[in-house]
Amino acid sequence: MQHFNIMTRRGFFDRSMKLGLGVALATLTDIPFVLKRALAEGSIGLNRKKLLFIFLRFGNDGLNSVIPIEDPVYALNRPKLAIPKSGTAPQDYYSTATGLMDDYSAMAGFPTEAIRGGNGFAALHPSLKYLAPVHNDGDLALIHRVGYPKQSRSHFSSQIYWENGNPNNNVSKDGIFYRTLIESGLANTNPLTGVSIQSSLPLLLRGSDAAMTNLSDPNRFRLLGIPNNTAGQLKVTNNIVAANSFSAVDKENRELLSLQYENLNSALNLFAQGIDFSETGNTFQDSVAGPTNGYHLFPTAAAKNTNNVVDSGAYTFFKSLKAAAQILNKTDAIIAGTELGGFDTHSNQIINSTSLGTYNVFDGDHAKLSKRIAWAIYGLRKYFQLYADKATWNNVVVVTLSEFGRTSAENSTFGTDHAEAGAMFVAGGSVKGRGKAGRTTGIMGCHPGDNYNGQSVGWIKGTTGKTGSMFGVSSAYLKRSIDYRSVLGELIRDHLGATQAQLNRIIPAYAVAGQKLQNGGVTTNSTTDKTDGTTIAGEVDIV
Amino acid sequence: MNKCIFLFLGCIIFGISRAAAADPEPSAITNLTVSGAQKIIKWTPFPATKSYSILSGTNISGPWATNNSGTMTGFKWTGTSSVPQTFYKVQLSPLSSNELLTATVLNRLAYGPTPSDLERILTGPSPIGPDAYIAEQLAPETITETVQNSHTNINIIQAKFAGPTNVVVGNTNYATIDDLRAWHVLRAVGSKRQLLEVLLQFWENHFVTQYSKSDDYFDQFYDDSATEQRLAAQFEYLENDRWRNALLNPACTFYDLLRISAESPAMILYLDTVTSKGNGGNIANENYARELLELFTFGVDNGYNQNDIVVMSRLWTGWTLQIVSPTNASNRFAPRCTDLRASSIAVGATNLTTVSNLAGVWAFNYNAASHDTTRAKILFTNAVVSARFGAPYTTKLYGTNTVPGRYTFGLPTARPGTNGIQDGYDIINFLADMPFTQEYISVKLCRLFVSDDFPNPSSDTNFAAYAFYDYAGGNLTPEAQLVRDCMSAWESSSPKGNIRAVLSTIFNSDLFRGHGASMQKIKTPLEYTVSALRALRVTTNGTSLPNSYSADTDGFNLVKSIGNSPGLPSPLNRMGSMSLFDRIAPDGYPEDAPYWISAGTLAERVRFVTSLSIAVGQAGHTGTSETSTNDAGNNTYCSPALLIQTKLSATSRTNAASVVDYLMGVIYPGEGAGNLNEVRTAAINFLNSGSADATPNSNPFGSASVPFSLSATSPYDIRLRGVVGYLLSLQRFHEQ
Repeated sequence: MQHFNIMTRRGFFDRSMKLGLGVALATLTDIPFVLKRALAEGSIGLNRKKLLFIFLRFGNDGLNSVIPIEDPVYALNRPKLAIPKSGTAPQDYYSTATGLMDDYSAMAGFPTEAIRGGNGFAALHPSLKYLAPVHNDGDLALIHRVGYPKQSRSHFSSQIYWENGNPNNNVSKDGIFYRTLIESGLANTNPLTGVSIQSSLPLLLRGSDAAMTNLSDPNRFRLLGIPNNTAGQLKVTNNIVAANSFSAVDKENRELLSLQYENLNSALNLFAQGIDFSETGNTFQDSVAGPTNGYHLFPTAAAKNTNNVVDSGAYTFFKSLKAAAQILNKTDAIIAGTELGGFDTHSNQIINSTSLGTYNVFDGDHAKLSKRIAWAIYGLRKYFQLYADKATWNNVVVVTLSEFGRTSAENSTFGTDHAEAGAMFVAGGSVKGRGKAGRTTGIMGCHPGDNYNGQSVGWIKGTTGKTGSMFGVSSAYLKRSIDYRSVLGELIRDHLGATQAQLNRIIPAYAVAGQKLQNGGVTTNSTTDKTDGTTIAGEVDIV
Repeated sequence: MNKCIFLFLGCIIFGISRAAAADPEPSAITNLTVSGAQKIIKWTPFPATKSYSILSGTNISGPWATNNSGTMTGFKWTGTSSVPQTFYKVQLSPLSSNELLTATVLNRLAYGPTPSDLERILTGPSPIGPDAYIAEQLAPETITETVQNSHTNINIIQAKFAGPTNVVVGNTNYATIDDLRAWHVLRAVGSKRQLLEVLLQFWENHFVTQYSKSDDYFDQFYDDSATEQRLAAQFEYLENDRWRNALLNPACTFYDLLRISAESPAMILYLDTVTSKGNGGNIANENYARELLELFTFGVDNGYNQNDIVVMSRLWTGWTLQIVSPTNASNRFAPRCTDLRASSIAVGATNLTTVSNLAGVWAFNYNAASHDTTRAKILFTNAVVSARFGAPYTTKLYGTNTVPGRYTFGLPTARPGTNGIQDGYDIINFLADMPFTQEYISVKLCRLFVSDDFPNPSSDTNFAAYAFYDYAGGNLTPEAQLVRDCMSAWESSSPKGNIRAVLSTIFNSDLFRGHGASMQKIKTPLEYTVSALRALRVTTNGTSLPNSYSADTDGFNLVKSIGNSPGLPSPLNRMGSMSLFDRIAPDGYPEDAPYWISAGTLAERVRFVTSLSIAVGQAGHTGTSETSTNDAGNNTYCSPALLIQTKLSATSRTNAASVVDYLMGVIYPGEGAGNLNEVRTAAINFLNSGSADATPNSNPFGSASVPFSLSATSPYDIRLRGVVGYLLSLQRFHEQ
């Protein structure tokens, strides 16, 4: 690497003056990149802990995913969409002894009743059956009633607010995971820190001081040659690599360019030698002797969709998911993820046959998508357990995000519309699910009464019509009891290793007492703080 | 034993006490190592150097002679001398000021140099010189535009644009956003009025609006996505067209451009003014008021507070959109359209309250009923222009204030009827020439044209930027001084804020004309792709007609994804989600490097220029599906052999050094050949290496086995394309 005369480089701010003002690392844009890690706090990126995010676009129906099946107004307001209780032993919904979910993994196909969640109140959509083994082993938290104050019901705006971590606030124009990576001090020095595998870089990872990597196709991380054959590629690559060591006059951006060309080189080598993204390389299979022994963990083609654990439209999603997992596992990337679309089920949430009145509540768009989520979490767990390299299951947390849940009452077109609070799934070896931290269940936020499993802010069951928590907002929407920023904030601090001071910069509302994000309570009713007087639980202690 | 002494060239030029912004230290030998008869000399590089030479002599007072016994690699010379007690010094031959300035001018006022531009300005028989080029570009109305004759797509797309009175609903012949983007790109590539195109992209990126949000808005009225998309594209086109016409006028001021933005339906929609109401108990939406101050005029925390935002939001209530009859397109008070579409009448859909039945145009409309007429409209109460601005800003009287420097601004709470529309015009009239605006806009223009070393200004004494831009305090850096000079030009033009006056100030500054600007910025994806094409682009038959160019694009290849949904994203998207006319965040695409340069985006950039260099139809530049390796697109191509044939003599064409020197002259005009000698050596070796030929060999370039040929399968053409791809994929080409 060339020597740059760093100390005499033209800089317009005296560094000591800036540090003296206590200016956050994020705003120091002109100090050499190699010094940024030295100035950073916390241990983000240094402790091998990683995060894999899946953004469920357009509003996942939380109420049909983690179902408040003992709330009478659920079935009352969803005459067609409601998933039926088990017919054989309805009284078992009141059993809370073990907190174990019914595990239908051994069943060929999917059950035709809600899966008892084990906490006496909640149940799962049958398409989520593969979440049961993950939950029962204590690696899954199903968090319900997650939202933010003065929630927007516009896809557009609400996605922005989930991704920038600053709801209803025009101040920050960058992503919550971007800020996390900037705080690590590694954002420009490591080849890959934040990676997404989708059509373009999501706001989650976007910001002005570092360009995170988006790969629409991981196979693109390869240079072309002229001619584009082996000899040509070799000639081109050798020459480009050799040019990295040419000397140059010092100019504004040459240090960054040099660094990033080196990063490019490292990443190319890594991808060429270390990671096989191809279809033939997709040999990751479940090997536990049991119902899913030999199943492909990432169904990327029909041949790998063992026993149709997912629908055939899922292959593209699993290609991206697999790439994100492989990148976390084989590189030093800290945060990686992808998205899954199609959740805007205004209609066809369930299958409607052409003759009115007959429909299949266990099929339809939401069921299909739920199968994908469940198998994704199950598959990721097995991947990081059986094929761990740089990422072990204990060091990885998988988190789903979705900009809002859906209306508690169904509409007239076999669907639901935009609402507010929804569900988040958080999985990982270090997640405090069932059997850890004294818990008998991994379901949070979906229980009647306070202090269940140590959780405050109970679910108020409705009686008739549109009452209770399910209709707690405008008599139409599920009322939130947990802020999504509390969930992400806890993960960023206690899993990834940010200090509280760093977290207060990553999620500014953490430093605002009235938001109650950390310890819970009644949020202030304030237009400046954009809060609304709702009682929330604060952090729920998931890692 | 040989004794050698270091000798430093000249003395250090450091005549001023603060850090010199533009003049680096001249080269000095940093070490000299001796090993037997071999001497290795290293020195510090100097920017924009044509050549370095090592001089030696046996007497420290001369005579000195160029020592040709060594070889130079980078900034290291290795030579032999058996003469004891030799003195050495390094001498450099810099680019002339015209050469340096030409490179900067073509990289900033234009989307990169073309071979023809370089000849016309610098190297040709009667060069006009960079200052003449600057002068003509500042007056684009004096340049005859010919770009529309260089590619058929330009006129085709132009004919599809919907003007303000065209009814777009239900008519799929009108332009889509891809059309607008392709047209924008084609103009960037081939326009004679380069500075105008650069400025249009700048203002589009300053007054950000978002195509997708407009598209989303129309979803509530129409079921027809083709109509929604064309309406949204029309909104983007209309504001762009108005800016274009404004900039063609020598008297164009910042206020003119700001007013066009405020009146633009795209903006009214983007920042939620369209639904903002202030009547009765309604509270206005603050979005536009905030961004107007924070991003479009004053800059963040530069002369306003939260209360000003709240008050200003009241002024904009009532500024909304309406579908009106085409004849009423410019009537802000026109009623809703009552003309029915022929297709609606045909099916008996005659309900006038259903928007999709109406044959109207969407336009800026003022709804007096929504306007706030009960809450006070006093902004900047008792605010005084920050002391750092100094005279005249701190000493003059603003509006109706009687205290010098005070800029309290008040409007009547309730103007009668439709007169309330004037609230919006009055406030932008006031904001447009305030010192904060002059400063912030000048900073942004300096960042665009000079370098990224212009921090955002602030009037908050807690921030370091306050001291940086403390004009009254003196001791300014050259950057701060330039901003101040721009402000003076702004203030003294009549009417104030003449854009050309501010630009002239920048282009005449030492910072712009010297090393302070040269090669100090990074190209955005748009600049990168367009400059790659321009560097290789000449008309090969002198006609400048379509299909006569040695490098060209259809525009669409750069901005549209290929293959099936979602398809392979466009090059501009792959290089960092640069979606033209469709930025999510109102702060615009950044200028500075860290946003654009990462391992992932570099891979995409390098792949693009490599694919571009490959002949169309060959592997790496072929295919139409989303899985094909066709990073440049089938209609975006270059033919380096045609370029070489057009510009070089028959003997030079087959000489590796001549070819490399020519290519490096158009691809890296501002770096100086002396600072690129390693690249030059590598490029010449590349041409002479047959390792990637059909049968690997060591036949030199241009020899009987590798004769000049235009055939895409000939070793000559392939090696030439290879060296072009190589030169374009190096670190230097990302810089401007």
